[in-house]
Amino acid sequence: MAAPLTLLLIVAVTIRAALYRSSLADLISERVEVVSPLTAWKRVVEGLALLDLGVSPYSGDVFHETPLIIYFFHFLVDYAEITFMLADVITAVALYMTVKDYNKQVFRKQKYALEADRYPLDCLELIRSPKEMYYIPLKVAMFYLLNPFTILSCVAKSTCGLNNAVIALFILSTIKGNVLLSAVFLSLATYQSIYPLTLCAAALLYLMQRQYIPVNYRRASFWWFIAQYAFMYLGSLFVIVCLSFFLLGSWDYLPSVYGFILSVPDLTPNIGLFWYFFAEMFEHFRLFFLCVFQINVFFYTIPLSIKLKEHPVFLIFMQLAVISIFKSYPTVGDIALYLAFLPVWSHLHRFLRNIFLVSCVLLACSALFPVLWHLWIYAGSANSNFYYAITLLFNVAQILLVSDYFYAFLRREHHLTYGLYLKRKDGSEATLVLK
Amino acid sequence: MKILTFFSLFSTFLSANSINVEENAGQFFSSGHTNNWAVLVCTSRFWFNYRHVANTLSVYRSVKRLGIPDSHIVLMLADDMACNHRNPKPATVFSHKNMELNVYGDDVEVDYRGYEVTVENFLRVLTGRLPPSTPRSKRLLSDDRSNILIYLTGHGGNGFLKFQDSEEISNVELADAFEQMWQKRRYNELLFIIDTCQGASMYERFYSPNLMALASSQVGEDSLSHQPDLAIGVHLMDRYTFYLLEFLEDIHPASKANMKDLFKVCPKSQCVSTPGHRTDLFLRDPGSALITDFFGSVRKVEITMETINLTDLIKEAEQNPMNEKPQKVTYSYVDQLPVSEIIHQKPKQKDWHPPDGFILGLWTLILLVFFKTYGIKHLKHIF
Repeated sequence: MAAPLTLLLIVAVTIRAALYRSSLADLISERVEVVSPLTAWKRVVEGLALLDLGVSPYSGDVFHETPLIIYFFHFLVDYAEITFMLADVITAVALYMTVKDYNKQVFRKQKYALEADRYPLDCLELIRSPKEMYYIPLKVAMFYLLNPFTILSCVAKSTCGLNNAVIALFILSTIKGNVLLSAVFLSLATYQSIYPLTLCAAALLYLMQRQYIPVNYRRASFWWFIAQYAFMYLGSLFVIVCLSFFLLGSWDYLPSVYGFILSVPDLTPNIGLFWYFFAEMFEHFRLFFLCVFQINVFFYTIPLSIKLKEHPVFLIFMQLAVISIFKSYPTVGDIALYLAFLPVWSHLHRFLRNIFLVSCVLLACSALFPVLWHLWIYAGSANSNFYYAITLLFNVAQILLVSDYFYAFLRREHHLTYGLYLKRKDGSEATLVLK
Repeated sequence: MKILTFFSLFSTFLSANSINVEENAGQFFSSGHTNNWAVLVCTSRFWFNYRHVANTLSVYRSVKRLGIPDSHIVLMLADDMACNHRNPKPATVFSHKNMELNVYGDDVEVDYRGYEVTVENFLRVLTGRLPPSTPRSKRLLSDDRSNILIYLTGHGGNGFLKFQDSEEISNVELADAFEQMWQKRRYNELLFIIDTCQGASMYERFYSPNLMALASSQVGEDSLSHQPDLAIGVHLMDRYTFYLLEFLEDIHPASKANMKDLFKVCPKSQCVSTPGHRTDLFLRDPGSALITDFFGSVRKVEITMETINLTDLIKEAEQNPMNEKPQKVTYSYVDQLPVSEIIHQKPKQKDWHPPDGFILGLWTLILLVFFKTYGIKHLKHIF
């Protein structure tokens, strides 16, 4: 599979390079859907320029990247395009290797379950074969690299690409079972933007199941593992934070980066839900709603992890989706990361109910974003409500997509336990409802 | 015999007249002013502030009737009520209900209209600092023998007056403007009338001489409007200006009514608010200041057959020798900022480098993680 992957990588790099050379690059790097105040390349350049002038880059409201990014780009600012293309390539390769390993495990589990005769007889058509799973890693890499969202994000030189690379490496190291690397990459991802913290639960579940530690809160080994992981995670986070202090010699990056993410002072429109709400809110209630919105991101961790205890990789997918939808400054690059996982669940297509609607809405909204932006800002014949309506619709479509996959996944699991053709007690056909 | 008595009577009559003329001559120049100006400002716009425009136009009417010509009146109206879309009787501004008195007409000359009525323009009119292209009708061309009436109306508060819903003039600014006028000898005496809420706060800060001020309400009180007209739909006048107008209707150019009568206009029973006045900066006794000193342009004309010798005064002035030569004051400029040196100085390009400790720490960590992952035994392959 190396050859098709290499071909794919070359095609992706060519497309990005071609777009870099065209005039679209400037246009794209200013689109609010693609760059946010956290990830804009313009701000990185601005911060580095401020540093060259002897001023802290965190003074003023320009620069919201972490000091490690400063260090990273201090030497690579001239090779930015190659860096971002390389980040995309690393993400794609990491996802490829992840999914290959995951497929192996899925297949192995399935084999054990078949041998243990745990599947009812009529759901044999739901069993997956290696033949259909053969091309999934390539499809995942393709979905990531050739996704227009990713291409736009790369051409705009949004640091979202770097965030995605770190998260992909985290997922790779988790799937491979390396606890230390998983903790280190998770702390790096959390250091960049706070929200990947929620992936902690999924990683813990996965690693514990891989090491055959029973996921039972009464057992000592459970807590011991959590303590180890937490120690590694918090330790590396602490080390990275202290190291960042030594870069510039001051702690002002903490309010500039984390204070900015959590308190959402910048209300530039983006594809998220925060800006409109907070633009029209009274000061008195701002803190309350800020807490509500931020808790909303973290809130789904526990219920989802309880429900998806047995399926931590699907949990990672759901968490990534929840983060991308509900984070304070989402961009299309975040969406591209979880959309890349969709081929892994392609066997669920027979249970998906809304996929046509969702894909139509996503396509239509993606097309309407620049149109309504133009109408609002340049033509003056629309207003922010129009743009927010499309944002809302886009997010609703994403939520519908994710919940549809959730439903399909659980339904398949249910069928694998109870049989494909469900009968009520009196023998008539039953339907499954997701409550 | 008859001719002698007639002649003696005639001579006594003449001498008595001459005494009167001398006295009258003295009284002729007692008030000190030779011309009158009026600056009438309405600061609010929008239809529901109809009464402020009506206030200003009523005072304009009275002042014009008593003799001040349009060339000596600076009328500033922030909005056009007569031709407002909501005016059921276009081209009129009524100051009395049942449409008894129309204070607008084809002889009303508005000098500053609409958005030209700003704090900046008002202060420029007062201090005379207008661009050279300003026409004479928009200037206050007063001199040190001018008595000026300044009438302000609109919405105000404690220490400020609101102009045009977006800016305000404070009492300190106003006091400073009057001081500038005094320093530049732009007035002889100045009467300041203000009809707004908490109007007394606007004259609290005056410190220039020869100022007399009246306000429609004290600090903490609101000035109230008089009567709504149901046909037009808005309040037509404010109470203070309504009773002021009533008072002024009884004044004619030869009237001897003085400022003390003006202070009695609109007592609390009629005005609900307590009008206030300030006379401590006024050098004459307010009782000796006539209403027409400010509201009218009364030219004192006395027909007399007597000649009055004014040359004595001119001779006295000439006797002061012009001994002192005008001293030549040499001006020197402060040392200029060395701009040319500064702008040609390029900032030293200091490249920022990350501290060595940081680089060391970071790469040590990366190496540690690498070797922990892949095992220490790989080390021996390297070394």
